[in-house]
Amino acid sequence: MGLLNPGALVLLAVVPALVLAYLARERPSRTTVSSTLAFRALHSVRRERFGGRPRFDWTFFLEMLVLILAVLALAGPYVLKHEHPIAVVLDNSAAMQARTTSGEVRFDKARGELSTMLANEQPDSAVAFYLTSPSPHRIDATKQFSLSGARAAVREAKSTDAPDDPGAIANLLTDLSSSGHYAKVIFAGATALAPPVPPGINAITVGEPIDNFAIGSFTLRRESFGARALHARLTVANFSTKPRTVEVTISGDGKQLGTAKSDLAPGQTGVVEFHSLAPAKVYTARLSPSDGFPLDNVAYATSGSIRSVSILFVSPKPADAQGLASIPGVSVTTVAPDSYSPENLAKADLAIFEYAVPKEMPSVNSLLVMPPPGDPVFDFQATPVSAAQITTWRKTDALAYAVNFRLLNVRAGEAFGVHPWMEPVVDGRRGALVLRGERQGHRFIATGFNLFPYLGRKNLPMSVLTLNILGYLSGVGANSGGYRTGQPWFVPAGIRTVVLPSGKSIETKPGTLFDRVGSQGVYKLLGSGGSTTFRAVNFSDLAASDFAATPPIKIQSPAAASATRTITAKAPLSHYLFFAILALLMLEGLVIYRRRRRVVEV
Amino acid sequence: MPGLPDEFSAAFLARLEDLRIRTRRQFPGMGKGAHLSPKRGSSLEFSDYRHYSLGDDFRYIDWGMYGRTDKFYIKLFKEEEDLLTYIFLDASASMAYPANDRKFENAILIALALGYVALSSGDRVMLRVLGGSGHRPAPSFLYGRNRIIELNERLKAVKPGGQIDLAQTLARELVAIRRAGKCFVISDFLMMPNSVMRGLGLFTAATMDVTAVQVLGAGELSGQGLSGDVEVVDAESGEHLRVSMGAREREQYRQTLLRLSREIKAFCLKRGMHYAMFTTDLNFQDFFVRAATDLGLAH
Repeated sequence: MGLLNPGALVLLAVVPALVLAYLARERPSRTTVSSTLAFRALHSVRRERFGGRPRFDWTFFLEMLVLILAVLALAGPYVLKHEHPIAVVLDNSAAMQARTTSGEVRFDKARGELSTMLANEQPDSAVAFYLTSPSPHRIDATKQFSLSGARAAVREAKSTDAPDDPGAIANLLTDLSSSGHYAKVIFAGATALAPPVPPGINAITVGEPIDNFAIGSFTLRRESFGARALHARLTVANFSTKPRTVEVTISGDGKQLGTAKSDLAPGQTGVVEFHSLAPAKVYTARLSPSDGFPLDNVAYATSGSIRSVSILFVSPKPADAQGLASIPGVSVTTVAPDSYSPENLAKADLAIFEYAVPKEMPSVNSLLVMPPPGDPVFDFQATPVSAAQITTWRKTDALAYAVNFRLLNVRAGEAFGVHPWMEPVVDGRRGALVLRGERQGHRFIATGFNLFPYLGRKNLPMSVLTLNILGYLSGVGANSGGYRTGQPWFVPAGIRTVVLPSGKSIETKPGTLFDRVGSQGVYKLLGSGGSTTFRAVNFSDLAASDFAATPPIKIQSPAAASATRTITAKAPLSHYLFFAILALLMLEGLVIYRRRRRVVEV
Repeated sequence: MPGLPDEFSAAFLARLEDLRIRTRRQFPGMGKGAHLSPKRGSSLEFSDYRHYSLGDDFRYIDWGMYGRTDKFYIKLFKEEEDLLTYIFLDASASMAYPANDRKFENAILIALALGYVALSSGDRVMLRVLGGSGHRPAPSFLYGRNRIIELNERLKAVKPGGQIDLAQTLARELVAIRRAGKCFVISDFLMMPNSVMRGLGLFTAATMDVTAVQVLGAGELSGQGLSGDVEVVDAESGEHLRVSMGAREREQYRQTLLRLSREIKAFCLKRGMHYAMFTTDLNFQDFFVRAATDLGLAH
């Protein structure tokens, strides 16, 4: 037994203050009266005055006891307690869903061996239980399980579809083994621990190399801006010891759309592509032959990610936007410059300002067509030109791709001078005719001539340039299957409910981080207006699918750690003392209250 | 008058002799007296008729009834007997406090005066002391005016002391006296009102005619001498209370005492008892004459 804060005992010096307080209490004159009956009704409280002999009644000794206990509690008394705490770390990542060569699921095998090991521990052991996926976390952080409780928790643990994070697991095991709080750390997982394993850690490794074929990624995109046809691209891998031909079958909304094969050498990764896929909401790709890890043999993609592009067209000539609406997948909203406000950009993917410039930097990618000079936001140095003849352009630039500038007939316009943060892409004799730059994470393009009205095939060079510009601004070719298991995402605007692949509905708020992403599949996002969108979340981690090349987890741990330690913990007694103080004060208060109540009643 | 306190001057005794005890009911006495008795007797107070039977004194035949009914009826009259008067004197310790108020001495004077009224009217008087220390008087009736000296001697022998519960004490006394009559209970009644009420209520239940005489000290009533921080000690129970007495507290204390007195008075009047309160700042002789009606006395 000892004291955590022995210096607090100095406060015992206040005990004489209590004696002084009792000395200071009144000593009234004593008078014998015929009856105290009428005095009981007096509500006046006797006043204190200094002097007289102290009356050490029982309240004095009780208050003295309370004071001493309080000082003692502040000093922090403790007793030394021998404990045998255990930390259990169970790997519940997707890799644990793989089957061993004996046909048993890794996770079930790990749970069984873990329960057996726990059954052999000391009966009074307290267990802290950790799971590793989607990120290492403790189960019921405020609770220490008993051995039976820990075994029950192990039985109830569930694996996720999220890959593990070897670095995070290594950090967790390092922290647990070096913290000194645990006599033993037990890790049960698919990944082996790199030698030398610290003696305080007991590892149960259930992983072993198995042949595995995997889909790495599944993306959908349009061939080009405005094209109707969807293009699916999948990466597949052969993590076996023999060359294999893998077959991918793709289906849309349950209807088979096509199959493709790929010959893969051992350890090789290939690409399978599908052209001109029929429209569907949800596309599913399945890989054959089957293997011991079915999770990466299926992947999902949604056409919702190839959504139409919404353009806000700000112009005094709204008729110029009519041609844009004829482009497939494009919707146009026109606003006059006087009516424009930044709130209009909320539902727009990109904005086009024709003969106009916003008063503040737009929050979306924007095209500025013949902006008026001298605006404070972009600060264009524009010079009107009667014949904006194109002289040079960047031949390898995406904006200039397939544009025949020699046939591009540009009449009146304006030439830009040197811009502080935009660079020229197309130049004329009097200066730049097309500028491009990025600011605050958004893309901006300015043209010194008018691209509109969009005439399609009637003005092919101008139309190709317009589509290139719009494609650049809308980000054509973005990965549509970019959501991975275990990686949270922000809830989009207007979404109130997310339906998990298991069918369970989760109420949520827009803008918040959604972290219930432990399952592979299609998540249904329900909007407040009844709208429904789909979001595909895939395992898609070829590194995690390669069971033959899984690197062991390396743990940094102090060399002095012993195999089995007995932890000596200081069990503080202060809270018991505070409870005793509270009880004593309540007792005194109760007695005084009852006494005064009896006095007041007549 | 020799052998009596100075307050009992010849003039005062003469005024007391004009008084007699008035009762609200008739009690059987022990001898001839001036009070109507429930017994049939020879007073002038008509009581009832009964048929004439052989041997009756034909002087009491009602001839008028005979003329109307042609039957003989004898007229019956009530008996007039003396009144058994009990004087219960509270001699508990509280009667000795405050000492300056001389409560107990005044209570003795009241008891003596009441006793003189009874004796001079030809009634019998028994002194019963509640609590107290010293010589306890014999439980016997005194009869005859000259026995006032003996009553005085008995009263002088009583010293206040001890603690009583009025309800229990009066219950014991009630068992002891056995005969109904007029009871004077002289006390400060400074005890829990329910104890007072239960005690007095026992007497009314036993068909006693009760007069409660409350004796309070003038200083006691006003809280005189109590100021500042005071630890008051109950003279009987020894209970300690610490109070801070100021003008407001004294007034509150006085009002509480008066409220307690009012409660007892209200109880007495409600139960057909007489009630009188004597405070020691009053002139004893004037009080006795002026409060004669409240004391249950009549001229």
